[in-house]
Amino acid sequence: MAHFAKISDTSQVLSVHVVNNNDILNAEGVEDESIGQAYLEKHSNWPADKWIQTSYNTYGGVHKLGGTPLRGNYAGIGDTWDAVNNIFYNSKPYASWVLNTTTATWHSPIGDAPTLTAEQISQNAAITNFWQYSWNEEGQSWDLVDKLA
Amino acid sequence: MQKKVLSEIGLYNGFVDMPKGFEIDLNKLNEDTLQLQINNKEFPFSKEWDKLNTYLREHVHVKYNFQLINKTSWGNVYKSKETSSPFINVDPVDLRNSPDYTLLYGVNVKDCIVRIYYDDNRRKGRHWDMPLKNNQFIMFPATQMYCIANYQEDSVNSILTITYESK
Repeated sequence: MAHFAKISDTSQVLSVHVVNNNDILNAEGVEDESIGQAYLEKHSNWPADKWIQTSYNTYGGVHKLGGTPLRGNYAGIGDTWDAVNNIFYNSKPYASWVLNTTTATWHSPIGDAPTLTAEQISQNAAITNFWQYSWNEEGQSWDLVDKLA
Repeated sequence: MQKKVLSEIGLYNGFVDMPKGFEIDLNKLNEDTLQLQINNKEFPFSKEWDKLNTYLREHVHVKYNFQLINKTSWGNVYKSKETSSPFINVDPVDLRNSPDYTLLYGVNVKDCIVRIYYDDNRRKGRHWDMPLKNNQFIMFPATQMYCIANYQEDSVNSILTITYESK
């Protein structure tokens, strides 16, 4: 099955349609995005150039089954299509975060959250605590929070 | 001090801005609306109706984060200088099966005003007038009473109504 994202005039993903692999084969029997786009234009009343193929198994620039990642992330409704960088990305979580266009993911200006210590991980596993770092936009820092407290 | 909004009366409106070459054929919807006056049946499914319905559902979902599920659809024709009697699209004795939203779409309209009645706390029976043009829609809660006025003398106004449940 192939997946295509329907893109609005403002480059937002309106929906994601599934197309049978047989409907995106060219004359040589090879999968071709433009064949799928033409198929969707004909059957879904939306121009071919506003259907962009997306990979169900791609997230954060990585194909989770070890294949070739396609366009950063699997497109979701409301995501943004970035034609310049050829990626789909979701909405900005915090005003200060910046987009890494290689992995199509958002990152805080001071980097990712620190990893939990072995003790914190074991406490989480025992459900005595639930330690998690959450982003503090005001203080521009990662705060360690016990969600069970 | 904090404020919590428990309920709101949202009026959504705008033009159906389809991509170039894929615009909605209003003549087809107008024909169907006129046919409906003779046959008195439900609005027929067509490619044009589907374009409109899909555009509205998808754009509302992306922009306002709620989903619309179709209930019914019908068309009305209003004579020149006619003001309709007030409509309300919920059944007060069957709210479970009533729609959440009423959507009006201008198929062939000129000098048309939609009057939506609402209560503002103790100020009851207020109304808000919105002009409706060709290819423009107005959507509001189905619990709101409304009426449609055709102010021009030349021709009839055709309006498509779609009701939705929201999720």
